[in-house]
Amino acid sequence: MSNVGTIDIPRFARWAGPNALPIAIAAMFLTFAIIEPAFLKPENLIGIVRQVSLIGIMAVCTTFVIMTGGVDLSVGPVLAIAGLVSYFCLQAAMPLPVVILAGLSVGALVGALNGATIAFLRLPPIIVTLAALSIVRGSALILGGPEQHLIRNEPAYSFVGAGSIFGLPFPIFIFAFVAIVMILIQWRTPIGLLVAAIGDNERAAYLSGHRTRLTITLVYVISGLGAALAGIVQSSQVHTALATYGPFGTELDVIAAVVLGGTSIMGGNGSIARTLLGVFFLGIANNGMNILNVPIDMQLIAKGAIIVIALALAARRV
Amino acid sequence: MVAPLVRGTGLTKVYGDLTALNEVNFSVMPGEVRALIGSNGAGKSTLIKILTGAITPTRGTVEIGGEIAPFGDPKEMIRRGVACIYQHSNLAPTMSVLDNIFLGRQPTRYLGLVDTRAQLKEAQALLEKHEIDLDLKAPVGELPTVKQKEVEIMKALALNARVILMDEPTGWLAASEVTKLHATVRMLKSRGVGIVYISHVLDEIFAVCDTMTILRDARVVAENTVAEANREWVVNVMVGEKLARESAQAAHEKRRPRGTGEIRLKADRLTKRGVFEDVSFELYAGEILCITGLIGSKRTEMVRTLFGSDRFDSGTLEIEGKSVSFAGPDQAMSCGVGFVPEDRHREGLMLDMTVTENLAMAMLDRFRRGILLDRAGMTDSGRRAIKALSISPPDGRRPVKLLSGGNQQKVLVGKWLSRSPRILILDEPTVGVDVGAKAEIYAILRREREIGAAVLVVSSDLEEVMTIADRIGVMVSGRLISIHDADTVQMDAIVREIGGGA
Repeated sequence: MSNVGTIDIPRFARWAGPNALPIAIAAMFLTFAIIEPAFLKPENLIGIVRQVSLIGIMAVCTTFVIMTGGVDLSVGPVLAIAGLVSYFCLQAAMPLPVVILAGLSVGALVGALNGATIAFLRLPPIIVTLAALSIVRGSALILGGPEQHLIRNEPAYSFVGAGSIFGLPFPIFIFAFVAIVMILIQWRTPIGLLVAAIGDNERAAYLSGHRTRLTITLVYVISGLGAALAGIVQSSQVHTALATYGPFGTELDVIAAVVLGGTSIMGGNGSIARTLLGVFFLGIANNGMNILNVPIDMQLIAKGAIIVIALALAARRV
Repeated sequence: MVAPLVRGTGLTKVYGDLTALNEVNFSVMPGEVRALIGSNGAGKSTLIKILTGAITPTRGTVEIGGEIAPFGDPKEMIRRGVACIYQHSNLAPTMSVLDNIFLGRQPTRYLGLVDTRAQLKEAQALLEKHEIDLDLKAPVGELPTVKQKEVEIMKALALNARVILMDEPTGWLAASEVTKLHATVRMLKSRGVGIVYISHVLDEIFAVCDTMTILRDARVVAENTVAEANREWVVNVMVGEKLARESAQAAHEKRRPRGTGEIRLKADRLTKRGVFEDVSFELYAGEILCITGLIGSKRTEMVRTLFGSDRFDSGTLEIEGKSVSFAGPDQAMSCGVGFVPEDRHREGLMLDMTVTENLAMAMLDRFRRGILLDRAGMTDSGRRAIKALSISPPDGRRPVKLLSGGNQQKVLVGKWLSRSPRILILDEPTVGVDVGAKAEIYAILRREREIGAAVLVVSSDLEEVMTIADRIGVMVSGRLISIHDADTVQMDAIVREIGGGA
């Protein structure tokens, strides 16, 4: 609104606004690189991507949900239960594709229930998925109990999370694949356009002859699938399935990445490609603070502050 | 001489290149009931919004009790004694009458607790003074509609309102309730309150008003006392010579009642309980059938069932000879029905999305290539539509929200045209659209009629109806009471029917 010094704030904001996230990522990258050169080591950079893969897969898959004006709080427990289901399928000596399909279908099922309840019963997404968070966590505890289930001597399954190709961890390939598929869905298929249309004006989309409720159900299925895939990758990575994986806060990291990427929490505008930027922003911030030995309590506070500041800036842009 | 309670001088409001109000002078004396008359878009609501402080006029002044009032400050207008009662209730239905009267300004005692006793005393005193009978403890939502209007009036009086604007106050009332409301209006008048009474129903105006101000095309075209006016004069002044000229012109132009004679859509005793009843009509290929009536006469609700976005309870609907019952718009569309909803912002357009995307929205199936979307094809087809409809600026990548109202409306109509609908239904297709764009939309509708589409238009704007219709249907309180051939019917006959068949 007002001029500070000689900088024309509105014009600066107009230029910086849409590019704020790439600028912030670059700035953070440089800062960490200068303070701690170890940050730039290839192992560390690869490590960052590997670390963000789980949150990244989930964030990319839940962007559509947020674009429709909804939210999916149940991703954490879905991650846990998908790992458990895969573990039990492995115990039953099922072949790998079946194991993975079984894990994914739990996610799809929870997503379908969430989506159908929201779309057909018109209940608020925050309540429905909050209830799902509780129900799925409870179900995971019934299924898995409190103990850790070790996944040993399953080389094929373990490759999913712990293997590597050309020195790059396999989860990175999964993350990249999911991101590319979702970006293509957004820009190259009618579903992508329809999701944006529903977020912008659901009633108008319905009156244009679209089966909006089916589409809304579908976006929650995609979100559930993403969480389940992340659960499979994680259980494979740490050779363990546990009912309490994907603890409280997982959903916040996922939503934060999406929202930092500029997707409006009110629905409408959104971009999966920009969600990727949000994921990397959070990932680099985490990694840099770890390298600089910032204590975890300070990290949590810093992360919260960054999210609020980013949203405040985004709100001014509108 | 008594000074006016409210006097507006030279009020002008310009939106972009649309002048909504042009040098309007307007005043209300104590104890005067002044009718404000005009067709949709004549400037009535703009004038009301200025008086309530909702908008700031481009030019002009408003004096209240002789003092110049500040603009754009609704609270200040209320403080100075201007209250407004809208067609749609602004009350909190689950709260009691008493709470509604004092909503937002409860007298408080220590600790900020609401002083219920003081409220009750004040409210009872008001009721007695104005001889209004209301149960203060009853929840507002359980009262009959006319009582709710009385609550709103009470609320205004509790704020010491000296001028009450009533915007279509009888839109939702039954005939006997209208009489009750008019008794209340007369009571207010006897207490020296000034009233601005807005209604499409001429009978009401002749029953309760003293004077009238008639607006047309954003100007005051006549002022008169009710005693000296009669219906024919009012209607003629309201619609203007332009329409007289145009309808003469249109009489030369061939009207085509029943178009080609081929029945496209046949509704037989369509009923939705409590909403509309026994609606029967036929819609022919190559004609424009306009259904007119008052706001609240359930025209919108009726046509929605033809498109499948709402369902009817009984009766039959035939499209091209086949009996249908649509479970959703997608099914209606596969039978060749298109529907342009009334409220383009809430129901019609994706405002943040581009013109091209909006134009493609009703025909994404055409751009499906396997599982992929043919964006290039969408852009091409968008470009053609933009040209054919002369949408301005001709830029398909522009978000629709940046277009003017008229161009937004062209996008909304245009998205159906590319499907070549066999039946095109439009609900108030030119609301909030300037004169130029109106003419363009009429031309589009006539073009559709020429190529053999069956066009059904719901419109409250008589000028519009007389301009484009081949046949005119009138709906009153959920019933389609008549259908006339437009080339033989007189406008005053339609006006009489609309106003309750009196």
